[in-house]
Amino acid sequence: MHRNTRKELSADPWFLTGAAIVLVVVFLIAATPWLSVHDPYDMGFQPLSPSSSEHWLGVNDGGMDIFAELLLGIRNTVAFGLVTGMTALVIGVIIGLVCAWFGGLTDDVLMRLSDILLAIPSVMILILVAALFRPSPVALGLLLAVMAWPTTAKAIRAQALVIRKSLHIQAARQMGASGTYIIGRHMMPELFPLYLIGFAAKARMAMFMEASLSFLGLFDPSRKSLGMMINYALKYYYLDIWWNWLLPPILCLTLLIMMVTFLAVSLEKVFDPRLKML
Amino acid sequence: MNGSRRRYYIPAYLFAALVMMLASYSLPRWLPGDFVTAMYSSSHVTLNADQEQDLKAYYTERQGFGRYVVDFFTLHWGYSYAFLTPISELILGALPWTLLLMGGAHLLSMILGFIAGVEAAWRRGGIIEKAGVGTMTLLEGIPEIGTGVILLLFFALHLGWLPASGGETAYAAHSAGSWLLDLSRHLALPLATLFLAYFPGNFLLTRGSMVMVLKQQFLETARAKGLPPARVRYGHAARNALLPMVTRFGLRIAFMVTGALVVETIYSYPGLGTLLFNAIAVRDLPLIQGIVLFSSLIVLFVNLGLEFVYSRIDPRVNHAS
Amino acid sequence: MENVVVRELSVTYRATDHALLALDQVDLCLESGRITALVGESGSGKTTLGKTLMGLLPEYAEVKGTVKVGDVDIPNASEAEWNEIRWSQIAMVFQNGPQNLNPVHRIIDQVAEPLIRHHAARKTEAMEQAREALERMGLNPSLGRRFPHELSGGEIQRALLAMALIMDPEFLILDEPTAALDAMTKAFVSRIILEARDHGKAILLITHDLDLARHIADDLVMLYLGQVMETLPAKDLFSYPRHPYTLALGRSYPSLETHRDLGGIRGDAFYRVIHRHPQDNGMVRPHSHVIGDASSHENGHTPPRGCLFQPRCTQAVADCAEKSVPLLPVENHQIRCLRGGIVTALDLKGVDKTYGKVKALGSTSLSLRAGEIFCLVGETGSGKTTLAMIAAGVLPPDRGSRTFEDRDMDRWIKEDYRSLARRIGVIYQNPAQAVSHRFSVFDLVAEPLRIQKEGNRGEEIEKRVMAALRDVHLSTEPAFLQRYPHELNMGALQRVCIARALVSRPSMVVADEPTSSLDPSVQAKVLKMMLDLQIEKGLTMLFITHDLGLARKIGDRIGVMLAGRLVEAGPAMEVMGRPAHPYTRLLIAGARGEFDAAAAGPGGSDPGGIDPSGCPFVSRCERARSSCSLDFPDPVNMDEGHHLVWCRFPLGGSSGRPGPSQPRVFQK
Repeated sequence: MHRNTRKELSADPWFLTGAAIVLVVVFLIAATPWLSVHDPYDMGFQPLSPSSSEHWLGVNDGGMDIFAELLLGIRNTVAFGLVTGMTALVIGVIIGLVCAWFGGLTDDVLMRLSDILLAIPSVMILILVAALFRPSPVALGLLLAVMAWPTTAKAIRAQALVIRKSLHIQAARQMGASGTYIIGRHMMPELFPLYLIGFAAKARMAMFMEASLSFLGLFDPSRKSLGMMINYALKYYYLDIWWNWLLPPILCLTLLIMMVTFLAVSLEKVFDPRLKML
Repeated sequence: MNGSRRRYYIPAYLFAALVMMLASYSLPRWLPGDFVTAMYSSSHVTLNADQEQDLKAYYTERQGFGRYVVDFFTLHWGYSYAFLTPISELILGALPWTLLLMGGAHLLSMILGFIAGVEAAWRRGGIIEKAGVGTMTLLEGIPEIGTGVILLLFFALHLGWLPASGGETAYAAHSAGSWLLDLSRHLALPLATLFLAYFPGNFLLTRGSMVMVLKQQFLETARAKGLPPARVRYGHAARNALLPMVTRFGLRIAFMVTGALVVETIYSYPGLGTLLFNAIAVRDLPLIQGIVLFSSLIVLFVNLGLEFVYSRIDPRVNHAS
Repeated sequence: MENVVVRELSVTYRATDHALLALDQVDLCLESGRITALVGESGSGKTTLGKTLMGLLPEYAEVKGTVKVGDVDIPNASEAEWNEIRWSQIAMVFQNGPQNLNPVHRIIDQVAEPLIRHHAARKTEAMEQAREALERMGLNPSLGRRFPHELSGGEIQRALLAMALIMDPEFLILDEPTAALDAMTKAFVSRIILEARDHGKAILLITHDLDLARHIADDLVMLYLGQVMETLPAKDLFSYPRHPYTLALGRSYPSLETHRDLGGIRGDAFYRVIHRHPQDNGMVRPHSHVIGDASSHENGHTPPRGCLFQPRCTQAVADCAEKSVPLLPVENHQIRCLRGGIVTALDLKGVDKTYGKVKALGSTSLSLRAGEIFCLVGETGSGKTTLAMIAAGVLPPDRGSRTFEDRDMDRWIKEDYRSLARRIGVIYQNPAQAVSHRFSVFDLVAEPLRIQKEGNRGEEIEKRVMAALRDVHLSTEPAFLQRYPHELNMGALQRVCIARALVSRPSMVVADEPTSSLDPSVQAKVLKMMLDLQIEKGLTMLFITHDLGLARKIGDRIGVMLAGRLVEAGPAMEVMGRPAHPYTRLLIAGARGEFDAAAAGPGGSDPGGIDPSGCPFVSRCERARSSCSLDFPDPVNMDEGHHLVWCRFPLGGSSGRPGPSQPRVFQK
């Protein structure tokens, strides 16, 4: 099964593009210490200077090197996306499996809970909490994850229920397999495609949120972020800061989100027919 | 609950509304220090001692969740010291602008996206279709921030065709006709931005479901009955492809709200988004609370309405309440 | 009338450095008017027994025990005493017909010879009697003037019979009388033997021809490696053998009435030897062991103190190799088995199962005997899968008890399910669904071992997996082991599933339509393989199928299910040949293309689930009366409890089998 999908994936243009961008991003993040010549917090440079050999993207209004800011911003956005995506995924998978495995009251209660969470506009709560408490990005990320798991949990639960009824699980039970064994050895590997798709979706949403919220100024102002950069740059839109200050963060943001979108699209294409076959 | 049916679950929405109100009510009380002191901190607004006293009294008087709820529904939302206007005025004043923008963008993108999707699926395999799918997928990846800023810089700054901000030209005297024109000019860019953000998704989704629907047996029956192609296409096929789009709408609310917020901010469009942005900037906590709660309830209301729409569109949806 | 009585007869052939124990503690009794068949394969000692009764054992044969022919006490008889009785009281027709006639004497001379020699009768009289004898055997008397080489095999056999009967002995021993004969002669000879019996002779029929034994004899004595394993009434041979050897032998024999495919018996029989033990200074110690070739001499001496059949037995336990067992009576058989004969591997009593509103299985009782294949036949919805899963321990019944290997299954499941799971293997209908597509072939077959934590070390698991794959004729190459299910065809995949079911060395296998989803040609191969494995590993098998033809080919016993009820169960021969339930008859007729017969009857539609009131076949049965709708009928014994039918008005009435049911081989 896996071999087929590997072949299909490596032939898919969406996947290849997405993977290419991933490589670039990883490179940028990893090479930050060497690429970023200047300290992003160093405010000692000539404000609003255009790009030069010294400062590849110039300097912003606070006297900080834009390129350095950019790299840090990328890292922050990606980190936020990963952490939130991972957490939402883990919570969603655990709850989805619990619901599918135990059924009954547990299932009912958890499903009701997720219906409620789905109904609540999570953005609003996020905004409210961010505005009131100014928590750390990690805290916000976790809060977002806690509100985002229902979609994943439902998808996992639905698939797990199907798998649970399958004959090979029954066969394993006849052989004396314990619940842990069945979940670990049989169900979780079957759900693998769903993990990837779920993670991609959640990470994408998280990065999007991070950019939007930082644009709105809800994060700690000293935290470097692509959204925040756009925000500041926009104030000077009448100046010639298009190319060096305004466009780069937009481009990077777009690329990051595209990267995850493409991977998600490709994964869905490859795995989806199998899912439906079960 | 399996994938293709939605449960018509009203209590969830009531619960959600309750949670929102509770959150809005209780969260501020968890602030370290005093709610009143926290207000307007780090902003240019300073309260003198009297105003502080009044505020404190106002809030202590209004302890209790029940009172809060009553206040909310009677539009007693407090006063903004930053904008020097009652909050209810601010919010209700900004609401129509937002409704115009969001409503217009969604409506347009759904209708056009739907038709484009249907037609694209009908003409499967052509180069137009493939190119269309490709570009739309690409476009879907660009966040609203990106499109918003690009459109702003290009059309407003560079070309100067359209205004860069606001909902209407301030302090101008208009006749009805020219007022509408002015309105449209200001609306154009934000609307276009949101449209470009929503359209690809609707297009792709519709096309995808349409492709699946076209494989179904009952279409052959429809054609065998001698029905005109347009009727077959829209009356039978497209009708079945409608549901996923509507479902998706409900699920994507979170995304859309943030996006709209951002877009409004970029264009300084006088809707709830810009209001919120400004409120955050000055840390006008009561205003923030008010906007958040109000818009949440609207969103919930819209979702609830959607449930009715689902059941009208798809008779297979089962009702459980 | 007198009898031949044999008590604890042991005969040992001695050679220079080893001895062969040909007969071990054999008891036998020949009564007038009865035919006793001595059945065994080569090396069983049956010819030796015959010769003992004639006093024809060689010099180096050592005889112990009592043999009385009439009054004569054989072991101690002198040659003179022997000659008294030879041919006049006890006569024998030897094996290999033509070899027993002197090629240079005429037939008639050889037939008349005993008369002349023994009774000093005058030649003409003797010749006259000889001519008559030949005529009685349907031979033209002119044949008497010929020489043996001029006669056909059939004619020779008749001549030999004539010769044996010429003095009208009371006791007759026939050694393979119908081997190599044409059908007509066989029939003729059989008739003669029966006539002889009716005349009051006591006949010992030594044969390996089970059909002959079954049709002619009254009792059977099963001999294996010199020991009597079982004595039983002839009619029980195929329908109710009690000893594993009898069951296995019955299966090995192509017979017109049983349809089951030939099996065989696993392993090989060896000669039993007592020999000089070097450690005892060349003294002969009465220990023995089984050797087939010289090699087992070297690998230590492990005398089989216990049962001789144990290495090949399907239900041997540890004690079987240690303890020796006497021949003991069990109902109307006698059995030499530590476990009292074929044990019941699985016993279900009154199990039923309801799913929500649908009653999938009504109160059913079923038992499986160790080493047999029980075919459960029924259409979809008949409850056969439910019953099978209950039998496998997978599904708990709502009511009723389950006993597996003499342990209460439900308690066993609670206490230690894994040890039970190890003993039962399950094969499912659809191999593609029964395996996870993420497991490689190796992982799939190894899974039970890993789950049951047996042989934790990787090497052990690897060894067992390889062995299992070899059993099902699959490759053990690393390339194959790494393949995934979607790369195999269904036949190969099902073999992997079979390997998986067998890797934990179960004693029982439940196979739920294992070949239904395979192509016919693949089906045949897989089935053959499964049958071979069943014999090889001594498995008890519960085989579910909807195909009556298949059941016929596979089953030792067949059970027919309808709408969640067992309506008939019994030996395959009986159920197929003389079906007692109208539904069974309908199934058979339908399978034969006799649609009129099949469609006959009031023509009701299939009831869904069980109609709690009465027999589920009521609406389609032409024999139904009002009492049939009242409640489900109690079982009716068609054949002393071996063939049961759940019907108030079974076909064929009660079997009314002729013949007494007590073997009187034994006189206490």
